[in-house]
Amino acid sequence: FEPLSHYGFVTSLKIYSNYVVAGYGSILKVFSVEKDDVSLIFSSQIFKRNKIHHISFSEKGEKLCVSGGRSFKVIEFDSLVRKQYDYKIDEKAINEWIISTEFLNESTLLVLTSHNVIYKVDVSSSVGHYSVLDMIHCNEKSILYSGSIRILADKTVLISAGTVMNGVILWNLNTRQILHNLTEHEGSIFGVKVDQNGKYIISCSDDRSVKLYELKTGELLATGWGHGSRIWNLEFFKDTSDGSVKIFSTGEDCTARLWEYQPGNSLLTQLELWDNCHLGKHIWSGDVDDKFLKLCVTGGADGKIRVHDLANRGTSLSYTPQQISELLSKVFGKNEAIQLFCELSNLNLLVSLTSNGNILTLDQNTSTWHQISLCEQDVTQLKDFGLITACSVSNTALICCRNGDVLCLNFKDAHTVEKNWIRQTHGTSNKVINFLGFTSSNNFYALIDFPNPKMPFILLTFTLSNEMITLESSKQLNKPNQNVFTTTDILVDEINNWLVIGSRFTSIAVYDLNNLNDSLELGAIFKKICPGDTISSVSIVETFKDKITILMTVKDGVYMYANLLKDQSNTFSLDIFHQNKISRGFIEGGFVKNMDLIVYGFKSSYFYVWNETKQLEITNELCGGAHRKWLLIPYSNRNPVDLDYKFIYMSKSTLQIKSFKGRFNHQNYGLIHEGTHGREIRDISVSKYAEKDGSKLIISASEDTTLRLGKLYSNGSIENFWSLNNHVSGLQKVKFISKDFAASSAANEEFLIWKLNYLSNGFPAIIEYSRLKPKSDIPDLRIMDFDTLEVENGFIISTVYSDSNIKIMHFNSKTKVFTPLADDYYTKCCILNVNFLKFNEKSYIMIGATDGYLTIWEVTSILNSFPTKETASVAKFGKMIIKQQLHQNGIKAIQVSSSENGYNIVTGGDDNSLILNTLFLLNAEELILESKSFVESAASATLTSLSSGGPNRVVSTSVDQIVRLWSVENGKLECESARYTTIADTGSSDYVDFDGENMIVLAGAGLSTWSFK
Amino acid sequence: MGKSSKDKRDLYYRRAKEEGWRARSAFKLLQLNDQFQLFNGVKRVVDLCAAPGSWSQVLSRELKAPENPEDVKIVSVDLQPMTPIDGVTTIQADITHPKTLQKILEIFGGEPADFVCSDGAPDVTGLHDLDEYIQAQLILSALQLTTCILKEGGTFVAKIFRGRDIDLLYSQLSYLFEKVICAKPRSSRGTSLEAFVVCLGYKPRPGWNPKLELTKSTEEFFQDADIGKSYNLEYLDLPDPEERLIAKFVACGDLNDVDSDATY
Ligand SMILES: C[S@@+](CC[C@H](N)C(=O)[O-])C[C@H]1O[C@@H](n2cnc3c(N)ncnc32)[C@H](O)[C@@H]1O
Repeated sequence: FEPLSHYGFVTSLKIYSNYVVAGYGSILKVFSVEKDDVSLIFSSQIFKRNKIHHISFSEKGEKLCVSGGRSFKVIEFDSLVRKQYDYKIDEKAINEWIISTEFLNESTLLVLTSHNVIYKVDVSSSVGHYSVLDMIHCNEKSILYSGSIRILADKTVLISAGTVMNGVILWNLNTRQILHNLTEHEGSIFGVKVDQNGKYIISCSDDRSVKLYELKTGELLATGWGHGSRIWNLEFFKDTSDGSVKIFSTGEDCTARLWEYQPGNSLLTQLELWDNCHLGKHIWSGDVDDKFLKLCVTGGADGKIRVHDLANRGTSLSYTPQQISELLSKVFGKNEAIQLFCELSNLNLLVSLTSNGNILTLDQNTSTWHQISLCEQDVTQLKDFGLITACSVSNTALICCRNGDVLCLNFKDAHTVEKNWIRQTHGTSNKVINFLGFTSSNNFYALIDFPNPKMPFILLTFTLSNEMITLESSKQLNKPNQNVFTTTDILVDEINNWLVIGSRFTSIAVYDLNNLNDSLELGAIFKKICPGDTISSVSIVETFKDKITILMTVKDGVYMYANLLKDQSNTFSLDIFHQNKISRGFIEGGFVKNMDLIVYGFKSSYFYVWNETKQLEITNELCGGAHRKWLLIPYSNRNPVDLDYKFIYMSKSTLQIKSFKGRFNHQNYGLIHEGTHGREIRDISVSKYAEKDGSKLIISASEDTTLRLGKLYSNGSIENFWSLNNHVSGLQKVKFISKDFAASSAANEEFLIWKLNYLSNGFPAIIEYSRLKPKSDIPDLRIMDFDTLEVENGFIISTVYSDSNIKIMHFNSKTKVFTPLADDYYTKCCILNVNFLKFNEKSYIMIGATDGYLTIWEVTSILNSFPTKETASVAKFGKMIIKQQLHQNGIKAIQVSSSENGYNIVTGGDDNSLILNTLFLLNAEELILESKSFVESAASATLTSLSSGGPNRVVSTSVDQIVRLWSVENGKLECESARYTTIADTGSSDYVDFDGENMIVLAGAGLSTWSFK
Repeated sequence: MGKSSKDKRDLYYRRAKEEGWRARSAFKLLQLNDQFQLFNGVKRVVDLCAAPGSWSQVLSRELKAPENPEDVKIVSVDLQPMTPIDGVTTIQADITHPKTLQKILEIFGGEPADFVCSDGAPDVTGLHDLDEYIQAQLILSALQLTTCILKEGGTFVAKIFRGRDIDLLYSQLSYLFEKVICAKPRSSRGTSLEAFVVCLGYKPRPGWNPKLELTKSTEEFFQDADIGKSYNLEYLDLPDPEERLIAKFVACGDLNDVDSDATY
């Protein structure tokens, strides 16, 4: 087996000079940071089995020590940087768990063990002849969860030890004296550090708090509350020149936080919170460098490593009405406040309308406010009501008044403006309810919406040229024939000349603008296209003649990709081919940028911008929640080091302008290493079919109920596309069941069929296609496994349950209907596996259960009963043809492959054994199961999965973390090859053949791909 | 689906309620006993990591039956406080701390025990290697006590999690016991890695006199026991390979017994 790629826990991180060094399980990775670019310069598995939990550097930086478990290794750092790392010196070990290490000098290493003992090791030998110089303890050998060594300028060595029960022990290595026993925390201590000047101690624990103590007295100075669960890691900020004490922490709640101590305040102040920067649970590791690189770095259980900028993170401006009055030397009227605003990005100009009908501009380049002079009449018309939209490319702001009159303000620069009214000629008594703008490459469109259902929409079309817009037409669009049709967003596709309007009740309306009449009829309306309430945005993903692919977001968190099509008879149809729900908050809008889907909206009192494709939060702002005027301006086409987003909102009557940028945003928002699920992976499946680019689709199911769809490339790397949140309970199995369909099963009797689709460039999409109805109202059974047979117009599916139930049904892939065919029980124990088997014309079903038995029924007549069968009667199985105990305990895994006269069936048990059985028909009549080969101790602990290893071979995984390749020939099981995997909880695997190259994908607490001959 | 609701639909959970056991774990000990007759002739027991106390309940019921109830001695230890059980001495302490072990020895007053069991499980962090290490420390601490107190031929049972280094432990235990078996009671969920190592026939290491010292770590304690544990090698080289052994696996409990993985 040859490892190809690995995604897993980031067990340690250290920033040194301009490098970020990561312990990625057993793999050491070094990234260099040059200005705003971070690049991987070294990656290699350093330890055979153990994981790197700690990294330290010698004072001069010549040496690096990595340690974890009982292992450690001292490496010339320079050799890594020059990529000339030699493996001369092997992995070293002591006979205790290592908590941390520190270099006393270039030749002496201090190693702190989990029994609170310091090993002083001479590591000067260039051939690895290390020797223990001393073993020092303070007479208190409690077991430690954490600890650190601090060497002060005067060479005092302080050991801080975090125990399981009794708090922090601080002792002096030179005197072996215990200085403090700090017992303020409750529960185990997971991190404890002394600052570089020897003035403070920080610790964190089970009890979710960060504590800061004065080192001299041991007095508790302050406590930081905020983390939602256990805290794993703490660091002091390095720059103390201004006397400040700042702390960086990461924890189980998947957040990283910055804290500051203010003398006299017994609570630490939380300065910054990075939420959702990793998936699932746990940020295991992190480090901060506020002095040179000005960044911090986090590493999660999801295998992602992310750097966060501490330096250029945008600006925050705010203007109260008083401040604006002063800056304008104009007095705001009583209760006058900014009502509306838009931004003209090219001029960096904010245009706002006050409740008194005044138009104020803010030149953000010079921070100066201006008032646009208007005649009395204009002010009256704009007073108390107005709606605003902008056409940024032409520097035009458009304000719509109550009666539908539109004031166009075309700016030449921040100070020069040309005013222009577009008056409505029809009835004036109508109050406008909505005013929506859309800029395409040649035109700008504005839709005016009156609440009266009889009143048509007015669509103003402008042509764009020379930073100007000119009104080209004003058309009336007859509204959908319904009581209310609340508009929320519009788009115009110029290839086809279609207008799409998003609305409430998840409905969209389509108008064909090709008609030259001044009054247009509705082209089509699609109502209640998905669960949820309001379509919050519509945008174009790609467009072709008679077909556009649109992205729609729904306020409740759903987003969809759909094809809007027009056929020869000019009839529109809508085909939603991708649908998903984000797991965080409401969606106000979204767009596709470089194929990544970006969505934004509110979550409790935050506004967030989220990259759904990469599964990471780009930014957030604590703005107080959704009920306010706000505006998000993405700068997608700008110089990457420039601004990324601007979020403008009103908080009370104050205008807030928050601009976001980050040095690393152009590099996947600081994501320097990709990852996978944030929780254990329960099952994984690779499609048999190659994609256009040669890759294969891969789908994985994790403990936290998410499925991920990605592409597996022949070099073993995985690119993720979607994280699907349709399941609400613990996943059991996931499989591709044909070229176009996948299925997944979970607890709560969830069984889902998924349909795969593609964008034109081969970008995959997926949608929940159908869902099996549970048999009880409060479903609590797990669907442990399923198998499928592809048949005409669909599939025959069997699902097996934790209460011993077995079901067989037909699924019609056109109508999406499940038709039950059989429903029966095995015994009372939980069924773990199911397979369909076929012998000529005869069909069988085989199950494996927790009692260790393999059982087979014939189901030929049941399967053949469709489609003729009457749906009313659901068959029972009848007699078991075979019931044979193979394992002492559960049959955890079954791998079935065809042989000359039947099947080879390999079973793996909880009892550590592996059995090769053959199944054949004797005299075309009697089915015979014969155990051919029995390997009692095929693993030292539970076999968890079996997959093919190509012809006549099987790959097994087991919780002893050894992957074994078995040959299945002449009725014998023989272990050809075995290799340790660093993936703990190894629970699933799948085999892929890439043009004759064998690959195995392993998953559990992480995901690895290996190739083999 | 939360863990609590999962427990509720477990039949063992309900049965424990009905039969008056404090935890469903009681059935694990009962099924282990059915298979290995652990309680035969046993009078003096140490129950480590015993809270809330269902194993102690089982022990006190099963061992109290004989004619001379006074001979029976059960000492139970846990980090957590435990509601008293008739005839059981309870101690609230950390079993990885040598002081705790000393206290137990004192209670036994130099007399050996017939049976030592430990159902200990630490709070897991999620870092598998660390969790396995802490679990191994719990077992080693229990074993430390065992070597100081268990009579020759006595029995030791401990909860294990079958992970990557469990074969190292089997190997070490095989130096100290006639038989080392990995037993999985049917009341323990098949989906969990939990199992029990059943060590029968204690055979003290010849020439090794186990002695508890407050300043000795578990590793130091076993240093001279020569049980195949690797120690610091010359130049601190990595012991590779280490002695490993796969223990025989036995599923216990009747196949007709309730399946803990089944939901009803
Ligand atoms: C699964 S429970 C034991 C259940 C018990 N056998 C019963 O039947 O009620 C595991 C126990 O191990 C205890 N434990 C974990 N670490 C310990 C330690 N270091 N010292 C003592 N007890 C510990 C926990 O407090 C917990 O009560």
